[in-house]
Amino acid sequence: MNLEARRMSLGRSEDQAFEALFTSEYARVVGIATRVLADPHEAEDVAQEVFVDFHRLHSAAAQYAPAWLHRAAAHTSLNRLRGSRRRLKREVAQALEEGDRTVDPQKQLEVDEDRRLVRAALGRLAPKPAAALAMRASGLSYAEVAQALGVGIGQVGTLLRRAETALRKEVIRGTSN
Amino acid sequence: MFDDPDARVGADAAHLDSCLECKARFEVIARDARSIATLLAVPEISVDVRSAFAKVSEAPRFQPGLVRLPVFRSSVRPMRLALVAAAMVALLAVVAFAAEGLFYKPSTVTPVPVTVADMQALSQLADYGTVAWTQQPQLQVATSASDAAAIAGITPPTAGSVPATISKTITYGAMTKAIATFTFNASKAQATAAAKGKTLPAMPAGLDGATLTVTVGPAVGEIYGDLKQPQGSSANEVNLPQLVIAKSTAPTVTSTQVSAATLENYVLSLPGISPELRNAVRAVKDPTTTLLIPVPVQYATATQVTINGANGVALGDNTGLGGGVVWVGKDGYVYLVAGSIKKDDAVNIAKTL
Repeated sequence: MNLEARRMSLGRSEDQAFEALFTSEYARVVGIATRVLADPHEAEDVAQEVFVDFHRLHSAAAQYAPAWLHRAAAHTSLNRLRGSRRRLKREVAQALEEGDRTVDPQKQLEVDEDRRLVRAALGRLAPKPAAALAMRASGLSYAEVAQALGVGIGQVGTLLRRAETALRKEVIRGTSN
Repeated sequence: MFDDPDARVGADAAHLDSCLECKARFEVIARDARSIATLLAVPEISVDVRSAFAKVSEAPRFQPGLVRLPVFRSSVRPMRLALVAAAMVALLAVVAFAAEGLFYKPSTVTPVPVTVADMQALSQLADYGTVAWTQQPQLQVATSASDAAAIAGITPPTAGSVPATISKTITYGAMTKAIATFTFNASKAQATAAAKGKTLPAMPAGLDGATLTVTVGPAVGEIYGDLKQPQGSSANEVNLPQLVIAKSTAPTVTSTQVSAATLENYVLSLPGISPELRNAVRAVKDPTTTLLIPVPVQYATATQVTINGANGVALGDNTGLGGGVVWVGKDGYVYLVAGSIKKDDAVNIAKTL
C-alpha cells in the first residue's frame, strides 16, 4: 500500500474509532455535565464542545480518551457554571415567574430553588472535589474517577468524602445568606 | 457515594464486617453520601447520540489537527521564552536568507545569540505584511510509529538507547507539510510602527509586495513520558515531555522581487536588533544553506558538536534541567533531540540514531 492510500485508510479508521468513542461515551459525558449544570441542553452543548476539542488533537484510539473526556466535561461545565451565575439567577427568576402549569407550583418552586443552591455551592468548590462529585454522581466508578482525575484509586473515597463535606457546608452557607 | 466495590477493599472490608464501631461510622458516611447524591440528582434525560454525532461532525472546528501551541506552566516560562526565541529566529533565518528565485535549504546549523529585545523586534515582523496559508499544518498524535509515518510520509527516528531514567512510555507525533506565504506591505508596516510610536527604516525598493513562500515539514517525532494523563482539561494543555526525538524535512524558502542581501540588511536594521545578533548573522558564510539555531543569552549556552559526521549545535547544560541538540543529518533531514535531560545525554542519544 502506498503512503497516500495508507494515510487515507488511517483517516478512515480514525473516523471510525472516533464514532465508536462518541457512541460509547457521549451519554456519560452529557451525564457529567448535567450533574453540574442541571440543564440538559447546555450539558449537550458542553459535551459536543468537549468531543470536538478532543478530536482536534487526540487519537480516538488513545487509551486515555474516556478519562480525558470525563475530566474535560467536568471542568468545562464547572467553568460555565461559574461564568453563568448571573444568568442562572435570571433564568431561575424567570422560571419562577412562569411556573410550571403541570405540577404543583409550590413544589416546583422549591425544587428549582434547591437545584440553584446546590449548583451555586458546587461552583464555589475547588475544581478537583467539584469534578469528583459530578463524575461520581453521574455514575462513574471509583476507578473511572481516579483515572479522570489522575489520582490513585485508594484516594477517591477520601476525596469524595471531603468534597461532600465541603459541598454540604457551602449549601448551608448559601441557604443562610 | 460508598456503593462502589472499590470503596471497601481488602483488609478494610474485612475489618468493617467485624468492627461494629467502624461499621456504624461507615453507615453514617454512606448516608451522607446518599444525601449528597440526592442533592445532585437530575431528572433522567435521554440523548439522541446519532443526531448529536451528526451535529459534531458538521462543526467548523471538527477537522482534527490544526496546530495549537501548548500552554506551558509558569514554572517553565524560561523554556517558553526560549521556544519563542527559536520561532522568531527561525523567522529571521527565513526572512533574511530567502533569495530571489533561489532556494533556501539548510544543510548545516550554527548558533546565534538572541536577547529579549531581539525577540520583541523580530516578533513585530509579522505585522509588516500578511500571512496566508497555502497548506495548513496538521498535527496529530499517533499511537504507533507506523501510523505516524503514514500521516507524515517520513519514518520516525529510532534511538539505539536512552538513559534508564527516561520513561518507557512513547507517544508519536506527526505533522504534515505546511506552506505559508508572507507578503510584505509597506503601508501596513509603517502604520503598525506609527501606532507603537516607532519609526521604521525605509523599506528597500521592491520589498513592498514581495512574497516569501515558506515550506516546513513534514515532521515526525517520538515523545517519551507519560502523556496519558494530561493535567489540563483543555486540548491546549500538554505536559512537557521528558524527551523528544524529532525529524523534519528541511524547511525551504523561495522569494520574489528581492534579493537575499536586501532582505538581510533590512531585517538586521530594524530597531531593537542587538549588535551581537547582527554580527553573528553577518558572520554566517553561506546563509542559503545554514539553519540558525537561536540561543537565548539569558537561559542557555550552546556548543558545536559533531553527530555522526554532521555539524550540530548542543544547547543547555548538564544539570538535567534541560538540554538538546539540533543537526542536519547526512540524509538532509533536520533532527532534534531535546528534553529535561543533560546536554551530554542528548548528544549521546543523537549519536545512536
